[in-house]
Amino acid sequence: MRLAYEHGGALMAGEALEAQAPHVAAARLDRLEAEAVHILRELAFYERAAIMFSGGKDSAVLLHVAIKAFAPARAPFRLLHIDTGHNYPEVIAYRDARAKETGLTLIVREVEDSIRRGSVRLASATASRNAAQAVTLTEAQQEFEFDALIGGARRDEEKARAKERIFSHRDAFAPGSPRAQRPELWGLYNRHIGVGENMRVFPLSNWTEADIWAYIVRERIELPSLYFTHERDVVRRDGLLFPVTQLTPPQEGEVAERIKVRFRTVGDITCTCPVESFAADAIDVLTETLTAAVSERGATRMDDRANAAAMERRKLEGYF
Amino acid sequence: MDGGAAHGAARSWSGQQIRFMTAGSVDDGKSTLIGRLLLDPHALMRDQAAGLEGDDIDLAALTDGLEAERAQGITIDVAYRYFATPRTSFIIADAPGHEQYTRNMVTAASVSDVAVLVIDAARVENGQLKPQTRRHAAVAGLMGLDLIVVVNKMDLVGWSQERFDEVRTAFGDVAGLLGLKNIAFTPVSAKRGDNIVRRGGADWYDGPTLVEQLESARPRESQADGPLRLPVQVVLRHGGTRYYAGRIESGAVRPGDKVRVGPAAVEASVAQVRIGGVGVARAEAGASVALELAEDRDLAQGGVIADAQVRYTRRFAADLCWLDENAWVRGRRYRLRQGALETQALIEDVRFVRDMSSLAEAPASGLKLNDIARVSIGARDPILADLYDDLPGTGAFVLFDPDTNQTAAAGMIREILP
Repeated sequence: MRLAYEHGGALMAGEALEAQAPHVAAARLDRLEAEAVHILRELAFYERAAIMFSGGKDSAVLLHVAIKAFAPARAPFRLLHIDTGHNYPEVIAYRDARAKETGLTLIVREVEDSIRRGSVRLASATASRNAAQAVTLTEAQQEFEFDALIGGARRDEEKARAKERIFSHRDAFAPGSPRAQRPELWGLYNRHIGVGENMRVFPLSNWTEADIWAYIVRERIELPSLYFTHERDVVRRDGLLFPVTQLTPPQEGEVAERIKVRFRTVGDITCTCPVESFAADAIDVLTETLTAAVSERGATRMDDRANAAAMERRKLEGYF
Repeated sequence: MDGGAAHGAARSWSGQQIRFMTAGSVDDGKSTLIGRLLLDPHALMRDQAAGLEGDDIDLAALTDGLEAERAQGITIDVAYRYFATPRTSFIIADAPGHEQYTRNMVTAASVSDVAVLVIDAARVENGQLKPQTRRHAAVAGLMGLDLIVVVNKMDLVGWSQERFDEVRTAFGDVAGLLGLKNIAFTPVSAKRGDNIVRRGGADWYDGPTLVEQLESARPRESQADGPLRLPVQVVLRHGGTRYYAGRIESGAVRPGDKVRVGPAAVEASVAQVRIGGVGVARAEAGASVALELAEDRDLAQGGVIADAQVRYTRRFAADLCWLDENAWVRGRRYRLRQGALETQALIEDVRFVRDMSSLAEAPASGLKLNDIARVSIGARDPILADLYDDLPGTGAFVLFDPDTNQTAAAGMIREILP
């Protein structure tokens, strides 16, 4: 893996950084990276911490920063993926390759198994499994007794998430009550938890989508190919592009067309839509992001559009 | 990679980042002001802005996030918002106006470079500020933030320069009491967007707009010229080498520098400075680094790498904001966190609690939620004898309740005691 700062120089001032992409906001990315590294190092406090690693771009950035935070030692984390069973194969292949490269242990737990156990019951075989992830996540947390789960969520994604703490304290049954959260001061984080409790930690809280892409450009972080332009069969429905897959066939009267698209998020196949795009690499995507007119989730996530408060409810249920 | 194609859009985005907090009483129009900041620089994406067309837009709806809040029409927690102007990008820490949630304002202030305080021009009578406004100003002063006072709803008082001056005067009196140094005032109408991003309203006002003032604010972490303070979060071991990893709170460090290690201030020299696993020639305040020392020194998690003049203490006086619903109980021990260190601490004495209506110092025997008090504290282990005004990164501390694990108080060291 290539790291930035291959030449010595003043940091935070940013002037001596290797200047591959002159438009990248070096000082700002340095501040955000330094903050995320600081948060990740705080997690050495825990006995059993895991990074939620889905193979999506935010978790890819999170993993990259975590490796840097503990270099040259090994990051004291395992990787955990809650697999809905509805993921694109490219993303799963990427997930496995990245885990192997870093040498960190990857744990995968399947929503399918929760369904088999009966702890998850779906309305239909092709229903979105996003909400069910919360159940499987809680089961995995208990199975491995994780005391800290580290996520790549950002506050700019959605209104309810804008109020998340960086250290979000969860007890066994009331995962995210907004009133009960502890005040968070000066980066002097309160990491303490009681028996049966755990901490959800979000080191990228202050990053925006544009920051994520700028960092991917600067650090040359590899991503699944779905993030870049490719030809795909889609149907147009409610102003969104729906991918045509075995799980999501065209509805009656709809005609599939083949166009150039990319994904802005890569979640469950049944509820993640691509956008029309010719962006072939991270710089192209950054440019599109900076000029985008529609926010990330609004453009691509059907489950959020279903209800303005959808995210908040899922948070209360333990979803990230 | 060829970055040429990205230049137009990206250049306008690559400025510095300013983090600011907003505070105001419930009816002063703070949510509308934030909505205006988000709307006017075109920070809002299209779906978030849906339903915000026309003259009488509900700007407050943009920021009130949680369902419970929507129902009550109030904000109850700190919310973070993002927008950018061609020069600067901003993070807003939006603190609530309700008196009982002062702890959230303290939280927002602690992560902000500057405070924006919203006052309704129409509601200042006979030169008097509301108690909540005084409380908000007191918190900003306490935490050493520069203050921008936004005098809102100027359209409702006919853009009266007299009224604007009346607010300034009322504030000036309070500011003197609180030791606030840098205060700026801007007359605005958040609802109409005057003097927020674009000028408007008053022909007598030729000062900066709110956004112009924010763009020229100073990031708080620019502590690179101060004495070195590097609290050690974790010791990384690789081969036979130990790297002391942490964030530089103050000062700068280079390979070869002489430093002092731990409370005994043992001298050592820096062999290597690393960021992200790679050696660098220099790193300064704000950077997360890993240092290798040339000598073998007894230094663990919670210790500090500092300059030669560093001093430690076990006793000090501090301003405390009490954040816990459980009141302070005399004799009770708390966990104190300064930098990466946690130790036990005892509040020995409450010197006074500040009365928020009169701003006077009143004698008190207890501390309860939202109290702001001067106390003396004793710690089990030596901590850095750094005053908050000089070294905010290490002059600040928090207290945790060891039984409930709640964050009990935010503290700022004011005086070192023998």
